[in-house]
Amino acid sequence: MTRHVMQCETDHDPHCITCADEAIPLRVLRVDDERGLALCEDASGEHTTIEIALIPPVAPGDGLLAHAGTAIAPLPAEASVR
Amino acid sequence: MKYVDEFRDPELGRVLAGEIVNLVEPGRHYKLMEVCGGHTHSIYKFGIDDLLPENVELVHGPGCPVCVIPMGRVDDGIAMAHQPNVIFTCFGDMMRIPGSDGSLLDAKAEGADIRMVYSPLDALRIAKQNPDHDVVFFAIGFETTAPSTALTLKRARMEGVDNFFCMCNHVTIVPPLRALLDSPDMRLDGFVGPGHVSTVVGARPFEFIPSEYEKPIVVAGFEPLDVLQAVEMILRQLSEGRCEVENQYKRVVPYEGNPAALEVLAEVFELRPHFEWRGLGFISQSGLKISEAYADFDAELKYSVPGVRVADPKACQCGEVLKGVIKPFECKVFGTACTPERPIGTCMVSSEGACAAYYNYGRFAREREVV
Repeated sequence: MTRHVMQCETDHDPHCITCADEAIPLRVLRVDDERGLALCEDASGEHTTIEIALIPPVAPGDGLLAHAGTAIAPLPAEASVR
Repeated sequence: MKYVDEFRDPELGRVLAGEIVNLVEPGRHYKLMEVCGGHTHSIYKFGIDDLLPENVELVHGPGCPVCVIPMGRVDDGIAMAHQPNVIFTCFGDMMRIPGSDGSLLDAKAEGADIRMVYSPLDALRIAKQNPDHDVVFFAIGFETTAPSTALTLKRARMEGVDNFFCMCNHVTIVPPLRALLDSPDMRLDGFVGPGHVSTVVGARPFEFIPSEYEKPIVVAGFEPLDVLQAVEMILRQLSEGRCEVENQYKRVVPYEGNPAALEVLAEVFELRPHFEWRGLGFISQSGLKISEAYADFDAELKYSVPGVRVADPKACQCGEVLKGVIKPFECKVFGTACTPERPIGTCMVSSEGACAAYYNYGRFAREREVV
């Protein structure tokens, strides 16, 4: 039996990262305050540009939860980014 | 890893499972709905339902936005994708959702320029790279996703991008919950509330569930112990005769939500008078459309589309699955005529859909009844 039949591009923990009530933890690498964007890294080391207009100011090293390319919540300082 | 290992600790899981057993009244059947597809996925991935007593039943709610999109809206998207000079963009899960005459993937095979994106920001980037094309983004999702679309439209305006359009299919979580609670064929004892929708809207909008319907709801995270603890909290409320909104996911969800996100939603979107949900029919004020202030980005104003309501295939029982009335394996076509490779209904297409979760994690039958 095929156990994991993926219908869409998924993250490393086979979820659809775009359409469901999912959010992925990311670590901020660099912040572009002027454009309201941050370069972030996920657990697998992949880099993504994230909108940061909806959360309090972040700095490199901070964690955030992102959904569909937008940070929707900051992560507690002690949280690990998988 | 902080906030991961603790929430997957098997020993703590067994302790919680023991507490759940102690809270359950013998002879009483408990039916709890997990509203969101992410919880459905966690439940089957981690085998959470196997830790619960037989008389605690988890049913799956309408929280997968791809699963609740009606066929007519898919047809409208395909019609836009076939317009000359259009690049149509959407999230991956949408590509295989059947319309009345094929899916977006079929339309792509026929020559339409349809591209999968991970975020609306990716779609805007495509628009900037292709100034001689119109780029349409098929926006879908609950309040978790809608702020991302709203911010992208604000960014498009700020950057003067005039070839970017949005076909808005965003929906809101409260009206379908109310519709479910009003439905005569539903008897629910409580809800596991959506975690990430609540980072945006907060837990406050769910207060009507205890105040008007006298049912408990616990907003929960997505790790296995989050879900188990939410079940324990619901059962504890029931055993103590309480019904309240509780927030199990406090490490991420503020009770009042994210005010910046709510503000941008109010600026860019307005409520539609009604919106069709697969399986649930038309629900008042449950869908978002682009506000007048952003009307120049509204793909539905730029392109004429069929706009026809299409009935679901007769064999498909997605509606009953979405309402939690039947389990996926009770559908006549589950795992036979309808599989992830050849889906008939939306619940089998989306990786967050209840049928796909059952299928992919090998839940083909009523195993729990024989445990």
